[in-house]
Amino acid sequence: MSFCFSSVISATFPVVIFTVAIVSEALAEKADYVQSGNEALQQGRDLWLENCEGCHGYGVADAPVPMQPDDWRHRVIKEKEVLYSHAIDGFIGEDYSMMPARGGNDELNDEQVKAAVDYMLFLANFYIKREDNQ
Amino acid sequence: MKNMKYKLKKKLMIGTALTTIAATTVVSAEVSDATVSVKAMADALHLVMDSDRSVYTKKIVNRLVKKDKVIKASEHFEDEKALVLPAQMFRFGSELAAKRAEKLDDVNFSYTLQSLWPINKQNAPKTEAEKAGLKYVVDNKGKNYYTTEKLGGVNYFTAVYADTGVAPVCVSCHNKHPDTPKKDFKIGDVMGGVVIRIPVEG
Repeated sequence: MSFCFSSVISATFPVVIFTVAIVSEALAEKADYVQSGNEALQQGRDLWLENCEGCHGYGVADAPVPMQPDDWRHRVIKEKEVLYSHAIDGFIGEDYSMMPARGGNDELNDEQVKAAVDYMLFLANFYIKREDNQ
Repeated sequence: MKNMKYKLKKKLMIGTALTTIAATTVVSAEVSDATVSVKAMADALHLVMDSDRSVYTKKIVNRLVKKDKVIKASEHFEDEKALVLPAQMFRFGSELAAKRAEKLDDVNFSYTLQSLWPINKQNAPKTEAEKAGLKYVVDNKGKNYYTTEKLGGVNYFTAVYADTGVAPVCVSCHNKHPDTPKKDFKIGDVMGGVVIRIPVEG
């Protein structure tokens, strides 16, 4: 590797300990996860936060982020059963990205997975509509 | 830190540096004066590392193991004639880079995969910056940690990036391993971090 670090570093770096910094590649905040007045969607939200948000909230491993409309425009128009199936059985995408079955939580039953998918669709549609109205 | 004031002077522009492997270095005066922030350097290094690992995970492991089902991936890849796990591939790259860097006078940086809950104790954080950084990326999902530290009389810029468990096998292996100090990881959890350390002169 032809990196040239040590011999060329300028003397502009002060000998102080500065801390921290906060750079976010994907800025997911709880407030972004819009709530719904619908009880079933709220239950789906709880399940989504517990089982899906860790990847889908941040785009980890190319997981589509519902707050990013471009990730979801082509997904929200699919048959819901297809999305349910991918979430329940797992899915290998065209680029070999992998959605694990039930988000990796074998204890979730089909109805719980579907509820989480419903919430993610609700969230994606919220952000798509918001972008379209801007 | 978006507005980090500290700058490194480097002989090669970062794009060239990242794509030139073991090539003869010819540096023009113009390029020699180019600057890049140390944070940008660390971020670029991590981007390359993470992209390579992601490609290995998807195009090799997911394709052959999950989709085509023609081979498995295993921690014991030699005994089982299997693919190395993505985290092992990453660690082997780190070790090879460190070994090759020893022979290059003008290359001095390191990167390691560490965890607050390592199966192998040698992968635990050792410096205060590493400990603080790993805790930070666990507590602040989606954010990176940057600091400086002085080790052996040398000032370093140290960056820590979250390493997230993304496949069932990552999580189950760690949870079930007899040497693991943590058994309740789930997919999407930050299980550790990539620590990149670059020396800087003050």
